[in-house]
Amino acid sequence: MGKATVIPFGPQHPVLPEPLHLDLVVQDETVVDVLPQIGFVHRGLEKLVETRDYNQFIYIAERICGICATGHSIGYAETVEALMGVEIPKRAEYLRIIWHELSRVHSHLLWLGLAADAFGFESMFMHCWRLRERVLDLFEKTTGGRVILSVVKVGGVVRDIDATQMAEIIAVLDGIKDDYTKIMNTLLTDTSVKNRTVGVGHISTEDARALSMVGPFARASNLPYDVRSFGKGAYGDLADFQPIVATEGDCYARVKVRCLEVLQSIEIIKELAAKMPAGDIEVAVKGAPADGAQASNVLEQPRGECYYYARGNGSKNLERMRIRTPTSQNLAGMTVALKGCDLADVNMIILTIDPCISCTER
Amino acid sequence: MDRFSQVFNEVPLAEVHDLAARRAEEGWRYVQILAVNTEEGIDLVYSYMKDGLLENDTVKAVGADDAVPSITDLFLEAFVCENEIHDLYGVAIENIAIDFGGMFYQLAEKAPMTVVSPEQLAAREKAKKIAAAKAAKEAAAKGEQAAPAAPAAVAGPTEEEIQAKIAGLDPEKAAKVRAAMEAKAKKAAAAAEAAAVPAAPSAALTEEEIQAKIAGLDPEKAAKVRAALEAKAKKAAAAAGKGE
Amino acid sequence: MGSFKLGGMTFGSLFKKPETVLYPFETKPAPAGLKGHIVNDVSLCILCGICAKACPADAIVVEKKERTWAIDPFRCVQCGSCVRACPKACLAMDPAYTPIATAQSCTVIEVPDPKATA
Repeated sequence: MGKATVIPFGPQHPVLPEPLHLDLVVQDETVVDVLPQIGFVHRGLEKLVETRDYNQFIYIAERICGICATGHSIGYAETVEALMGVEIPKRAEYLRIIWHELSRVHSHLLWLGLAADAFGFESMFMHCWRLRERVLDLFEKTTGGRVILSVVKVGGVVRDIDATQMAEIIAVLDGIKDDYTKIMNTLLTDTSVKNRTVGVGHISTEDARALSMVGPFARASNLPYDVRSFGKGAYGDLADFQPIVATEGDCYARVKVRCLEVLQSIEIIKELAAKMPAGDIEVAVKGAPADGAQASNVLEQPRGECYYYARGNGSKNLERMRIRTPTSQNLAGMTVALKGCDLADVNMIILTIDPCISCTER
Repeated sequence: MDRFSQVFNEVPLAEVHDLAARRAEEGWRYVQILAVNTEEGIDLVYSYMKDGLLENDTVKAVGADDAVPSITDLFLEAFVCENEIHDLYGVAIENIAIDFGGMFYQLAEKAPMTVVSPEQLAAREKAKKIAAAKAAKEAAAKGEQAAPAAPAAVAGPTEEEIQAKIAGLDPEKAAKVRAAMEAKAKKAAAAAEAAAVPAAPSAALTEEEIQAKIAGLDPEKAAKVRAALEAKAKKAAAAAGKGE
Repeated sequence: MGSFKLGGMTFGSLFKKPETVLYPFETKPAPAGLKGHIVNDVSLCILCGICAKACPADAIVVEKKERTWAIDPFRCVQCGSCVRACPKACLAMDPAYTPIATAQSCTVIEVPDPKATA
């Protein structure tokens, strides 16, 4: 065994789009210990809740992270609605979930492109981002924004999707599905991809449970935890929802789970579009949350369970808004997965966890 | 399919670790820890989840020198939240498994940032004082009701009333409101002097005046102001009636 | 053939129309409701200031005395709160994006007084 050396990894690293710093304690080529460090992009967004009223804060909530923007605005709106006892129309719930699932498709495609790029599969990166562009075009047509949609508000949504637009969404998704299935099959059966991912960064089901891991990271370790299966909002009307799980718990399993989740999201959107109820898309929300009232909420983001907490103080500004993001929950799992791996596999393991540092630090 | 539900409990600080141990044994998932700055101290909320039931255990009013036991020996993943609460709120958490000692967030300011800023604290204290003063005044006013025609009511808003109204607003708006109210006070005083005999003008505020006043405010505040002004107008009318 | 699975797709793209456009010579048509910038129809505006209160970014400044309505396009986040809040429906979202600039600027609009013109 050689001498232990500390190798700094990040915050600027080609594989990471966001600043995460790791101190890797390395012996020979093996990582023996990992110390994660965040805090480079802390913006204090939670504190801004004191200076913006609860209707305005939704635009800050969705700027926490570009990829999870829709999810954060929905999670925040649901929490405030629970705080104030507001029930939103069914159609608004459906529309929210459709946009949310579309953003899951775009988030997973983005991640898949980055992952392919990280192990040198650059044409795959191009293909994934080409398909993602079509989802962004759908956003542009239905909401007017490409990344930050600003379409959810406390008490409902601000725009409706009419029948012709809905048909267009379905048609585009069918087109994406055809191309995507080819890409996915290539990725999952390719020998060089398997060489890089199979058996790397293994996490057992017991570890996943003990570390309370969330999202595709946990589901790849055969932990069938998915907030969508609680049937909140429009998810309750799905005929059947089964979380996608894999048993291997390695990088390959994580790639596989995310790949299949894209197809699952497309199916969810199609089912909801077919069941779409008619009616209003918003209710008027009046007054302010009561002093001391509190509410919590969980939502399945593309990266996993996200926790929201709000406390009122009798004024239009909330007393406290808290968002605990999936990556913060998965950091402990990441350190465990990295222990004992090869130095060359570190970037692959980190990418398959899909960390979102901006979310984590807010 | 388990449905989502949530519960809020209160736990004493001493039981935090025991509760975590019990939850770990019963197979609960750790969800998060958060801190809320309150006037009494810092509230810590520990969340756990099992089969769709989200339990939020609140520890009320943790003081600056209370030592909070870490739960990272049971739930390693809590190190993120615990370091964050230590760095940003200054809560002393003992024995964190991965302890960054205040260096988890690379912040420009070393001192923990409390959620209640000095300005807010001042504003809250002022609001409280004003509320107390108002209550006292109301009590006094009730006692005085039998006495003849309170001249203050006819003279329009007094200094305290202006103060009370300004309390909740931000400085620049406050300045505007203050100017407007003082102008009104003068006007009302003048009206009272000029036309003491016909009761109607001395009734302080007419509908138009209320409208003019409300125009610049947002709906909720407008409703409040309207109610206050109408009450005042009534009072003034009553006073004028008594004066005759 | 383990290494040429994407071949069909890649070969096909040689003959298909490109997915990209030759920006800036070509631009994609703007869909209806694209969030570009806020425009104010001054003939309807009553300078009530509700838009300024609704704005989460403090981008709108309304001066009732000077009869001006100003928006800072570099602060505006295109959320559309002001459009929904406007009681006179004089605000609208225009699909044209704010052009890039070397210096930040503020768009100040004079609102004519309906009483003065009448």
